[in-house]
Amino acid sequence: MPSMSFDAELAVVWPRLRRFAHALARNPADADDLAQMAAEKAFKSFNQFQPGTKFDSWMFRICRTVWIDMTRSGTRRAAHEAPAEAAEAIGFDPRPATEAAIDLKIAMAAMQELPEEQREVVALILVDGFGYREAAEILDQPIGTVSSRLARGRQALLVMLGEG
Amino acid sequence: MTDDEEFFAWLDGELDDDKAAEVEARVRASSELTARAAEHRKLASGLQTAFGLVIESGAPPPSFQSAAVVDFGARAAGREPRPAAFGMPQWAAMAATLALGLLVGNLASRGTYSPVAVDGDHLIAAASLDRSLDTALASAPSEAGVRIGLTFRNAKGGICRSFQDRSVSGLACHDGRQWRIEGLFQGAEGQSQDYRMAAGHDPRLAQLLSQTIAGEPFDEAQERAARDRGWR
Repeated sequence: MPSMSFDAELAVVWPRLRRFAHALARNPADADDLAQMAAEKAFKSFNQFQPGTKFDSWMFRICRTVWIDMTRSGTRRAAHEAPAEAAEAIGFDPRPATEAAIDLKIAMAAMQELPEEQREVVALILVDGFGYREAAEILDQPIGTVSSRLARGRQALLVMLGEG
Repeated sequence: MTDDEEFFAWLDGELDDDKAAEVEARVRASSELTARAAEHRKLASGLQTAFGLVIESGAPPPSFQSAAVVDFGARAAGREPRPAAFGMPQWAAMAATLALGLLVGNLASRGTYSPVAVDGDHLIAAASLDRSLDTALASAPSEAGVRIGLTFRNAKGGICRSFQDRSVSGLACHDGRQWRIEGLFQGAEGQSQDYRMAAGHDPRLAQLLSQTIAGEPFDEAQERAARDRGWR
């Protein structure tokens, strides 16, 4: 892929990738680890990327795979011995200094309450704005499955977040 | 597709025109469905606003092709710098430690001028780098091409500044007496004039910054005031 720079492609999708990671992961430190690891994995397998297909979908698919691996193997930050300050290596200020920061904490906490298969669908479609078909392709699931998980996920979120 | 799923597909603009018109008519005819549509629209926009903060925080992307740990020993021997070990949770700190270790080991044979010096068991800024950290503002390039990126406080309340000196970028924190070097990174060829590195566009520096910063970076007025107080 001589005409395509991985760094340039990644730079475009990176903000969305981090947001996706925050929607999946349990805290900002895990989310940043996840985005970082997904980027690394994608870089290593960039020769498998098909030119002409969508880089963002490919990147999100990799991120989701890494997330599943992290979840299954328990290699999230809390599960290994990280220095105390590492827990503070985060992309935003978690202290309730602003309304907005509270909102993100609450939104992340609510997402954590969803079963993983609903969380990933909500993260792709409601948070990122992927269409159902693209989300189904990223998740390698039938579109009907995606649509029913989305319905259940957003009902549950409305119960948790809707009263505000 | 259940009625529920159809309702949400309509809300998300996923239905074809005929079907969408049908669902829309159904929603309009029912105050319950109308209220439900409003609730779910509000939920979706609330989620987008909350997670939108992640995007606004503007953390820079990692860079791969250009990532290389500065390896002063290899450089002195005329070899290429080796690529950074990448992707480990503490990789930036490890890379910084490695680079500093090599640097310290090599300083004795460095000759007269160096922008860093050894003080006990840590590195401090010296010469033009020290003067630039003391006096320069981010808005103005200082002498000898040293550029300042971000100024902020760390968790201990000390003031830290990121900098770029030719192709090397790094982070120094003031300990009340002098600027201690917390990290030093070699940029790729051709990046030497790229001012953005000092602002954290080098992924290793960015990682170190995010691990060190407590609160927000200083704005211009805070930076100037901190300089006038001697970085305390």
